[in-house]
Amino acid sequence: MTRWVGTSVPRKEDARLTTGRGLFLDDVGRPGLLHAAMLRSPHAHARIVAIDTTEAARLPGVHAVITGADAAASTAPIRPLIPTPVPLHDWCLAVDRVRYAGEPVAAVAAVDRATAEDALERIHVEYEPLPAVVDPETAIRPDAPLLYPDLGTNVLWHDVLSYGDVAGAFARADGVLAERFEIQRYASTPLETFGAIAEYDAGLDGYTFWTNDQRPGLTLGILAESLRVPQARLRLISPDVGGAFGNKRRPAYLLASALLARRARRPVKYLEDRIENLTALMHACNGVMDLELAYRKDGTVLALRVRDIADEGKNLVSPTQHNLIKLGNLVNGYRIGAVSYEAYSVLTTKCPSGANRGIGKPFMCFAVERAMALLARRLDVDPAELRLRNYVGPGDMPYTTPPGAQYDSGDYPATLRRALERFDYTTWREEQARGRRAGRLLGIGIATSVEPAGTNLASYELITGRRAASGSAEAAMVRMEPDGQVRASIGDPASGQGYETVIAQIVADELGLAPAHVHVERGFDSATTPWLYLSGNYSNKFSVTDVGAVIGAARKVRDKLLRIAAHRLEAAVPDLELADGEARVLGLPGRGLSFRELARTAYADVLGLPPGEEPGLEARHAHQNPLAQPVGPDRRVRSQLVFSNAAHCCLVEIDRRTGQVKILKHVVVHDCGRELNPAIVEGMVHGSTVHGLGAALLEEFRYDEGGQLLTATFMDYLKPTALDVPDIEVDHLEHPSPFTPLGAKGVGEGGAIPGPAAVANAVEDALAPFGVVVRSLPVTSERVWRWLRDAPPAP
Amino acid sequence: MSLITVRLTVNGRQTERAVSPRRSLADFLREDLELTGTHVGCEHGVCGACTVLVDGRTARSCLLFAAQLEGAAVTTVEGLTPAEGLSPLQTAFHECHALQCGFCTPGMLAAAHELLAENPTPTRDEIRDAIGGNLCMCTGYVNIVRAIELAGARIRGAR
Amino acid sequence: MMNMRLVRPARLVDINAVPELSGIAARADGGVTIGALTRHTDLVVSPVVHDRAALLATAAAHVGHRAIRNRGTLGGSLAHADPAAELPAALVALDATLVIEGPRGRRRLAIADFFVGLLTTALGADEILVAIDVPGPPHAGWGFAELARRAGDFAIAGVAGIARPDDSGRCRDARLVAFGAADRPVRLRSAEGALIGTTLSDEAITRAGAEAARECDPPDDVHASSEYRRHLVAVLTEDVARAARDRRAAAAGSPCR
Ligand SMILES: Cc1cc2nc3c(=O)[nH]c(=O)nc-3n(C[C@H](O)[C@H](O)[C@H](O)COP(=O)(O)OP(=O)(O)OC[C@H]3O[C@@H](n4cnc5c(N)ncnc54)[C@H](O)[C@@H]3O)c2cc1C
Ligand code: FES
Ligand code: FES
Repeated sequence: MTRWVGTSVPRKEDARLTTGRGLFLDDVGRPGLLHAAMLRSPHAHARIVAIDTTEAARLPGVHAVITGADAAASTAPIRPLIPTPVPLHDWCLAVDRVRYAGEPVAAVAAVDRATAEDALERIHVEYEPLPAVVDPETAIRPDAPLLYPDLGTNVLWHDVLSYGDVAGAFARADGVLAERFEIQRYASTPLETFGAIAEYDAGLDGYTFWTNDQRPGLTLGILAESLRVPQARLRLISPDVGGAFGNKRRPAYLLASALLARRARRPVKYLEDRIENLTALMHACNGVMDLELAYRKDGTVLALRVRDIADEGKNLVSPTQHNLIKLGNLVNGYRIGAVSYEAYSVLTTKCPSGANRGIGKPFMCFAVERAMALLARRLDVDPAELRLRNYVGPGDMPYTTPPGAQYDSGDYPATLRRALERFDYTTWREEQARGRRAGRLLGIGIATSVEPAGTNLASYELITGRRAASGSAEAAMVRMEPDGQVRASIGDPASGQGYETVIAQIVADELGLAPAHVHVERGFDSATTPWLYLSGNYSNKFSVTDVGAVIGAARKVRDKLLRIAAHRLEAAVPDLELADGEARVLGLPGRGLSFRELARTAYADVLGLPPGEEPGLEARHAHQNPLAQPVGPDRRVRSQLVFSNAAHCCLVEIDRRTGQVKILKHVVVHDCGRELNPAIVEGMVHGSTVHGLGAALLEEFRYDEGGQLLTATFMDYLKPTALDVPDIEVDHLEHPSPFTPLGAKGVGEGGAIPGPAAVANAVEDALAPFGVVVRSLPVTSERVWRWLRDAPPAP
Repeated sequence: MSLITVRLTVNGRQTERAVSPRRSLADFLREDLELTGTHVGCEHGVCGACTVLVDGRTARSCLLFAAQLEGAAVTTVEGLTPAEGLSPLQTAFHECHALQCGFCTPGMLAAAHELLAENPTPTRDEIRDAIGGNLCMCTGYVNIVRAIELAGARIRGAR
Repeated sequence: MMNMRLVRPARLVDINAVPELSGIAARADGGVTIGALTRHTDLVVSPVVHDRAALLATAAAHVGHRAIRNRGTLGGSLAHADPAAELPAALVALDATLVIEGPRGRRRLAIADFFVGLLTTALGADEILVAIDVPGPPHAGWGFAELARRAGDFAIAGVAGIARPDDSGRCRDARLVAFGAADRPVRLRSAEGALIGTTLSDEAITRAGAEAARECDPPDDVHASSEYRRHLVAVLTEDVARAARDRRAAAAGSPCR
C-alpha cells in the first residue's frame, strides 16, 4: 500500500527554490504597489503626548500616514488571546502609550521604502517617558511600574496546578534537590522576515492579504473583527515562506497595512527589516524557574515542584502559551508520580514574546535535564544510568503523566542506549579521564526529551475557565483534475518542511499514481484552500492532523474513482485496485481504465456516471485528532497529543585559558514514529538541533535597565554559522504512534528542545573538577572564564 | 534626486539603466531587473542571503550601490541556472536535501560556486569556511556541506 | 554604517575607479607598497604580501568572511578605524607609513600618528589614503592571535606583533599591538619592554602577558567586559610572542632577520 510514504523522495519544491524561481512575499508584485515603513518608539515605556504627521504627509511620494488615533477610530481592538478582568485595548499602532522600545506608533505608505523612511523622520512625536520594567521578578512586585494601570498588575496569569500527592512524596523522599534556572530571550529568526501586502477593493469593500503569517485561520478571524468586515470579504494568500518556526505572526502589521491601503487606495507592502524583526517581532519568553526534585537514594525521582515565571514582554496576542506547554511537558519522559506547577505569565516593557521553535519546552527540558545531571553527580551515579532508572518504559505505553499528557509510543531507554552507542560513550568517558590528567577539559552532556505534536486548544480552559476553541484539526482538499493528475491543498502553509513532496507521497499511495503526478499547491489561499480556525503551520501538527486531512480527502476521491470504475467496468468495487494511474480488475490483466478516462467521465461525460453519483472528482476533508479531549474535572488535560522522543549526546572541549567552548561531536537519536520522508526528517533534526546549539552558545536578546535592546542586529545577536556547529550525527528508532493516521509523530522541534540542556550538561561536566553549576545560558567564553577564575583551587 | 546611468553585465546580458544613487545592488536586481532570486535577509552584510558574484567573486548585493558597478559583470542565481534543468551544484543541493525553506539557497550557491571554481576538492572544513558567512536557519548546514562536497566530486569527475 | 542608518551622507564619492589606488608592488628595501583600494582577499592571496608582510596577509584572512574580504579595502579599513579591526593593528605592528593625498598635495604619515580616537583618524576631510608602505626587510618573528565570538566576527580582542632579534639572538625590538582593547589599535609598550633583551623565554613571555594586561584599558560592550578583554590581551600577547619566537627559530639561517 505504501510505496511512496517512507521513502526519501527528493523534494518537488527544490526545482524552483534552487533556481531563484520561488515566490516569497517580497517577490509578489501588485500594480501600483506602495511600500510602508513604521515609526517605532525609542522608549521602552512612555506616554504619547502628541504626534504631528503633517510634514510627513506633505513629502512628495507619500500616499498615506496613519497613527494610533487613526487605528482606534477606524478599527476594533485586536482580540487578546485570554480575557483579562478589565478589557485591555490593543490596536495595530500604539494609542496613548508605548510599552516596548520598537513598538509601532505610526506608519507611512510611499512610492518606495526609502521615501517612506524619509517621511518617518518628518513625524514628530512627543513622549513622556515612564519607568521601564524589564525584569519579570520585579514586574510581579506590587510596587512595579504597570504596563496597564487599569489592570492593577503586570501578572496576566498566576495559578498553582498540583497533581498527585506532592507533599507526601516530598515527605517520603531521601533528599530534595533545589535549583534555580534561568533562560534568556532568544528567537528562531527565520531568514526571511515577516510582513504582508494588503490590497483594498473599494468596490467590494474587501481586502486581500499576501502574507507569510503562519496561522491564517486565527489571523483571518482577528482581521475580520478588527476591520469590521465579514470574513467572506477577506482573502489571505501565503506564498513561499522563508522559514517561520513560530515567529511569523503579527496581526497588527496586517491591519496597519490594510489601513494604509484603504487610505491610499493602492496596495501596500510592509516587510520588516532585520532590526525591526529582532527588536519587535517575537522572542521566546525569558524566565526564571525554581525547581525542587524529591528523590530516593536509589535515584528514583518521586516528585517535582516547579515555580515558573514567564516574561511575556508586551504580549497580549499569545500570553500563557509558554506556561501551558511547560505544564504539559513537566515530567519529560520520566515516571514522576506527583508534580506541582506554579505559573506566572508576566508583562514587561520588552518585545512581545511568542511561539518559537519548541515554545517553552526547551526551558522545561533544560531545567529538568540539568536537575538530572546534578542529581547524578550528587548520588555519584552515571547520568545515563540515572535516566534509565526513571524512564517511562516501553511496556507502559500508552502512559498518562500526572498533568494528563499521554505518551503514546516509543522506547525511551532504547533511544538513550542507541545514542550512547553511536556516541561511543564508554570510550569518550575514558578519553575524558585521560584528557583531564593531561589538563584537557572535555565534557560529555546527555539530555533526553519528549517532543509533543499537535496542540489541543481546550487546554486554555485551565487559564480562562471557559472554552473558546478546542481540539486539534486541519483541513485538506484533493482533486483529480480532468487530465487524471491530482491537485491537493491544505490549510497549513509550509515554511520549509517540504509538504508539497510529503503530501504528494501520501496522495500517491492512496490513489495509486506517482508523486510526480500530484501537484500540491504552494502555501495557502483562503479563497480556495479548505481551512479551519485551527488551520496553520504550528505546533508540530502535520503528523497529527494534516496527514489525516489529506488521507481523508484522498480516500473520498479514491472511493469515488472506484465506484465510477466499477460502474464502467461492470465489476464490483472489491474486485478493483487503483495502481499506476489506472483502475484495474484484479486477476484480469488488461481490464482497466486510466485515471484520465475515469476523470473524463466524472467531469465531461457525466451520463456515464453511476446513477446518483455527483459529477466531479474533488473532495475535502477535515481531520480531528481523537486524542484531543476537554479538560477533565481534576484539571488534567492532553494539551498536546502525541510524543516523539530523543536523546542527545554532546562532547565539548573547553579552552581553559580563554573559556572558549567547542562542540566536538553531537549525536542525536530520535524516534518520531513512522518517518514519512526520512531525508526530510533528518534535515529537520539537523536544523532544530542547531537551533538548540545556538541558544546554548550564542544567542541572547539583552536589554539594558532602561529597556533598550542591546543586540538588535545579526552582528550582535549571534546565530550559529557553519563554523560554530559540528556535523550533527543522527540515528533513529521507529515506534509508530497508534494514534495518528500513518503512525507518524512530530519532528520539527525535537532537536531544539534537548539541545540547550545537552550543551549545558557537557560544559558542566567538563568543568566538574571546578564545581561549576550551569544555571543559565548562553555559555559564552567569558562566562566560562569567570567560572574557572572564581573556582576554588582544584583538589 | 538625480539619476546615474550605469552600464553593466548581468547574467551575461548587457544592461544599461538610470538608477537613483542610493539604489542598492540588491534592490536594483530585484526591483529594476526583476531578478527576485537574490534575497535580502538582513541588509547589513551579515547573513549572506543576498550574495551574488561580481566579476566572479562573491559580494553582498545589499552592501553595494548599483551605481558603483559600472562595467562590472554580476551573476545571480538566475545566471547560475542552466537554460534547461539544474547545474551540478543545484542538483547536488536537491539530491542531498540541502535546502528547506530555500531562502538562503541562492546565496549559498554563489558562495559554493566561488569555492568550487577555485578548489574543486575542498575538505569539509574548507567548505564550512566558504559558507561561514552565509546563515541558514533551517538545515543546520550538514546537508549543505554534503551537497557541496558531492558537487565538487562530480565536477571533478566530469573533467 | 549607511545600512544601519548611522550615517546619512548627502554626497558619496566612489573611488573604485581610480586606478592609482590599486596594486601591490615590491619595494627595494624588501618591503611592499599596497594601494589603498587593495581588497582584503588580494592581501590574502598575494605572494608578494605573503613573502614580505605575512602578518598582514594573516590578519587579512581573519577579516569577516570571504564575500566581505572580496569587497573590503585596506584603505577603507584604515580610514574607518574600527578599534577591533585586524588590518590597522597589523600595520601598526609592521610600522607602516601612509601615503595621503589632498588638495594641498601628497604627504606621508607614520601609522603611529594616524589613529586618533574611536573611528577617527588624522585624515583631513578633503584627503584620501593613496597607499600604504610596509618597510622592509620582512620580519621572520611575527604573530597574530585573536578571539572572536564566532569565526569571522570582529574580534573581542586580538594582538598582532613582531619581534626582531639582534646578532646574539636576543630580542632587539618588539612591537605588540592590541586591537579591540581600546578606542584604537594600541601598542603594548610594557609588554614589549618585557620581551626586549630576552631570548623570548617562557618566563619573559608570561611576564609580557601580565604587563599587557596591566597596561591596557579595554572597553565594555555586549560581547565582553573590560575585565575579560584584559585577560584575553594577556593570553593573546603570550600566544603572539610565542608564535614570533617559534617562527623566528624555524626561519633561523634564512636571510631575514
Ligand atoms: C559583515 C561584515 C563583517 C566584517 N568583519 C570585519 C572584521 O572581522 N574585521 C575587520 O577589520 N573588518 C570587518 N568588516 C569591515 C570590512 O572588512 C571593511 O574593511 C570595511 O567595511 C571597510 O570597507 P570598504 O573598504 O568598502 O570601505 P568603505 O565602507 O567604502 O569606507 C569606509 C570608510 O572609509 C572611508 N574610505 C574608504 N577608502 C578610503 C580612502 N582610500 N581614503 C580615505 N577614506 C577612505 C570611507 O569614506 C568611509 O568613511 C566587516 C564588514 C562587514 C559588512
Ligand atoms: S541581506 Fe545582504 S548580507 Fe544579509
Ligand atoms: S533553507 Fe531556510 S534559511 Fe537555509
